[in-house]
Amino acid sequence: MREQLEQMRQQAMAAITAATSEEALNEIRVKYLGRKGELTGLMKGLGALPPEERPKVGQLVNVVKDELEGAVEQAMSAAREAATAQRLATERIDVTLPGRRHRLGSKHPVTLVVEEVSEIFAGLGFAVAEGPEIEHDWYNFEALNFPPEHPARDMQDTFFVENELLLRTHTSPVQIRTMLKQKPPVRIIAPGTVYRCDSDATHSPMFHQIEGLMVDSKVSFADLKGILTVFTNQLFGQKTGVRLRPSFFPFTEPSAEVDIACVICGGSGCRVCKQTGWLEILGAGMVDPEVFRHVGYDPESISGFAFGMGIERIAMLKYGISDMRLLFENDVRFLRQF
Amino acid sequence: MKVTYNWLKEFVDFDLSPTALADLLTMLGLEVEGIEQVGGGLDQVVVARVVEKNQHPNADKLSLCKVDNGTEILDVVCGAQNFKQGDTVALAQIGAVLPGDFKIKRSKIRGEESCGMLCSEKELHLADESAGIMLLSPDLTLGVPLFDALGLKDTIFEIGLTPNRADCLSVIGIAREIAAKLGTTLKHQAMAVPEGSQPASQHIGVTIQDPVGCPRYAARYISGCTIAPSPAWLVNRLQAVGVRSINNVVDITNLVMMELGHPLHAFDYRQVAGGQIVVRKAGEGERFTTLDGQERILTASDVVICDKERAVALAGIMGGLNSEIKDDSRDILLESAFFDPPTIRRTGKRLGLHTESSHRFERGADIGMVPLALDRAAALMAELAGGTVAAGRVDAYPSPKQPVSICFRPQRCNDMIGIQLTSERMAELFRNLAFTVAVNADGSLQVGIPSWRIDIEREIDLIEEICRLNGFDQVPASMPVAAVISDRPSRHQQLQRLVRDHFVAEGMNEIVTFSFIGPDGADKLGLSGDDPRRSGIRLCNPLAEEQSVMRTTLLPGLLETASRNMSFRSLDLRLFEMRRIYMPTADAELPHEPIWATGLISGARFAESWCQQQAEADFFDAKAVLENLFEKLQLDGIRWSAEQPEPYYHPGKACRILCGTTLIGTLGELHPAVQGRYELERPAYCFELDFEALVRLSGKRRAIVPPSRYPDSVRDLALLAPLELAAEQLLSCVSGLRLKELEDVNVFDLYQGQAIPSGQKSIALRLRYRSPERTLTDDEVSALHQKVVDTLAKKLGVALR
Repeated sequence: MREQLEQMRQQAMAAITAATSEEALNEIRVKYLGRKGELTGLMKGLGALPPEERPKVGQLVNVVKDELEGAVEQAMSAAREAATAQRLATERIDVTLPGRRHRLGSKHPVTLVVEEVSEIFAGLGFAVAEGPEIEHDWYNFEALNFPPEHPARDMQDTFFVENELLLRTHTSPVQIRTMLKQKPPVRIIAPGTVYRCDSDATHSPMFHQIEGLMVDSKVSFADLKGILTVFTNQLFGQKTGVRLRPSFFPFTEPSAEVDIACVICGGSGCRVCKQTGWLEILGAGMVDPEVFRHVGYDPESISGFAFGMGIERIAMLKYGISDMRLLFENDVRFLRQF
Repeated sequence: MKVTYNWLKEFVDFDLSPTALADLLTMLGLEVEGIEQVGGGLDQVVVARVVEKNQHPNADKLSLCKVDNGTEILDVVCGAQNFKQGDTVALAQIGAVLPGDFKIKRSKIRGEESCGMLCSEKELHLADESAGIMLLSPDLTLGVPLFDALGLKDTIFEIGLTPNRADCLSVIGIAREIAAKLGTTLKHQAMAVPEGSQPASQHIGVTIQDPVGCPRYAARYISGCTIAPSPAWLVNRLQAVGVRSINNVVDITNLVMMELGHPLHAFDYRQVAGGQIVVRKAGEGERFTTLDGQERILTASDVVICDKERAVALAGIMGGLNSEIKDDSRDILLESAFFDPPTIRRTGKRLGLHTESSHRFERGADIGMVPLALDRAAALMAELAGGTVAAGRVDAYPSPKQPVSICFRPQRCNDMIGIQLTSERMAELFRNLAFTVAVNADGSLQVGIPSWRIDIEREIDLIEEICRLNGFDQVPASMPVAAVISDRPSRHQQLQRLVRDHFVAEGMNEIVTFSFIGPDGADKLGLSGDDPRRSGIRLCNPLAEEQSVMRTTLLPGLLETASRNMSFRSLDLRLFEMRRIYMPTADAELPHEPIWATGLISGARFAESWCQQQAEADFFDAKAVLENLFEKLQLDGIRWSAEQPEPYYHPGKACRILCGTTLIGTLGELHPAVQGRYELERPAYCFELDFEALVRLSGKRRAIVPPSRYPDSVRDLALLAPLELAAEQLLSCVSGLRLKELEDVNVFDLYQGQAIPSGQKSIALRLRYRSPERTLTDDEVSALHQKVVDTLAKKLGVALR
């Protein structure tokens, strides 16, 4: 029995040493150590031994079993490592081939600017307000201090629809609707679509504006300058120069056109800024007392500022778009660049 | 509004370069939109004389000239006919660059050499039209650059005036602003009028019957004028600011208008019956021919200037053909009046007549300027037309306008602007503007406004003047001290963003199309005659027919965009638009403007690739986009119903989308006829979603289910089903069992054809069983699965394959 065991041990060890693959080692394991394997078979033979021999031989069988199991395990892990090494040494792909891409979608630049501007003003405590595009004359003009027959109405060529309604020419009526709905303090921006019957290389009959309005007990023109400076610096980069110059809007006084230092040439003069070094980006001013009276606010106890900007204009400056019409042609070769 | 540097200098002293002056004006709110050098770049256009003029041998209409430029005789071919040998002309020499970047080069014209060009006023931008070449005074020195010779070197500023600044529609108005900013005074003094002995009132009379439409009307009588061309300085000055010269008398009225901002009108006295002016409302339907030869039909709201018998001018807008100055006119009735701005505006707008005169009156002229402008023009007529000015003015001014006086609180101004100016400094700024200032007992200022500043009526107007004159650049930038407002975007706004983000994540490109579409959109979509989407709101004044109706569906814009892109060979499209539509309402005061979302998928499913098999996108690509969206919104109870599809979809490949019983959208393959009408090269799969419905229906979050920690068991099921049996019937039959161990069921194969009886299909389901509490035994899973099979067989009659 002992000799049998020793013989088997030697055979098995030789087989393990000779084996190179996991499969071969598995076979060896089954052959010697499996439930129907040779070592198990020997164990069954223990019963034939004299009782006093049994523990000794049994112990010996276990030693051999442990030895073989250890050897198989070790050889297996060596074989696995060798196989992995072999795989790694031979498998190669061309990493420069293009990936399996899904198409990227894109937001329209007008949406991108609206979202960005809204975010900047959200950080300054301005909520987003909305209003109808088909409007009453009263909200679009009269309440904003454009009396009927006033030449200021010529500044905004208006599309009319039946029933004395019109397509809003600016987002300013949202100011009126907001103030009629709530008491001061007010801090809103109102992005939206507006219309003017004018169409050429720099004018589209439909375009977009963002209106801003802040009303509180002590709001000054200097505050307007401060807010707009923060805004333009956030949108166009720190230290963008801002210049306010006098202008006229019926619903603000004083009124200002707001210029930023040309983002193309930095202020030295170029084609985009028409050699002036400045780009006009928005109109602003202190809310006219007449407007406050129309919405039932007391102009002696509160003050406020309003501003409005053209989104297309900002998109064109921000993304370097030369022709406004590109924004409405919706050519996917253009849209996919955003 | 144009004004020149030299002209301004006649009214105010300043030591500024043209660029510095432009900057000063811009920062005062008079935006300089353009600066133009008169004669800049025209140094090579010189005075020359035609010494010989011969017929061109090879062209009937051309002449061959020898031209003396002072140093040499040049050959020049010329096409104009209006000159003769010995005339003094403007010669553009080789190297000259005429306006419009027109370079003069040596050339051969019909075989003859030409070393320059004889120029017309038009070619030199000295006039809008010219009949031939420009003929110059023979006194000019040959060889001298034309603009030097004519004294035309100047800088022209184009100023974009805001409508409130009517007072700046003149040289004097802009000069006042410069003087105010620099703290100096105007140089201009009223000109003394050399008057004859006879009083004007012997010849002329004025009656105002409509004092609202015409609060003031003054006139002078000038006799014995000689109508002639204006002197060159006058012609040039007018040309510089864009006014065409007509004759000396008319030019004088225009010059005074440009200079003092007050429109005047000269009548031929012979044509003013009895010399009597009557200002009245026009009769309803009254016909009147203005001096441009157009017959106008007037209404009772128009104001006309009449003589004893008939109308002779349309007040403040245009004179009449019947009384205009002619070459043989001698005696002149000169009008200087003030007309009511809204009246002028209404009439001008109705008649589509906009003139330099109406432009000023409708914005508000200076009533105080009436006599001054009249005198200035009369004096010039005496000087330039040899007229005799009768003594005195006839000046009808029934109720003189009271000067405006406004109380101004310096502290309020400082608070409003955010500056700290002293009351004294503010008073000084007002005085610089020629306002009068008195200090009230309470420290406020009482400010008197001159007649030309009709825009100043309230304290806030004065606050703006202080801010403006002190300089917008002097205002500091501060941050407001304000109440905290905490306001999140509304759910409506948040969802708009979420839905847009979703479509972008699905690889779609957002488009923005015009809200107005063509009226043919409904027909192209094949909408039925009574479809409410046919009653879109029409614009009264569209720019074009294809932009004349407010859209009631986003589809036409989407399909046109797709068509346009396909025409540029962009065939693989995934587009969406999410914007408003405009539905008329019967009861509400305004139309309804709900937001809808629409999308289109067409062409290849994947970008062309070495590692993906090419396939055309289809209905289910579009459906997947929506399924994912509804999943993200956690909308329950979505149904895809093939009943009553829209007419613009393929009837067999379209559905309505319901959430519970609410219709939230549609989806389908575009009907081939619609595809054809929009000239789409490939089939397109479109959807429309009612965003407002999504907002209403979403918002409920499902409870979070902790994932099971036990193993799953997957069973497949291949069924034979009739072709018309919808997959949804199978799935809802299975889910109707509400087996809590059935984690998921999915259609993983669909087959019809060989080995399947005709009229049937094989549809395979994969069911995943798993318990949240324990490991299911094989027998348990089998029992569950059998239940599913039995139920399907019983309820839908489908058998295992």
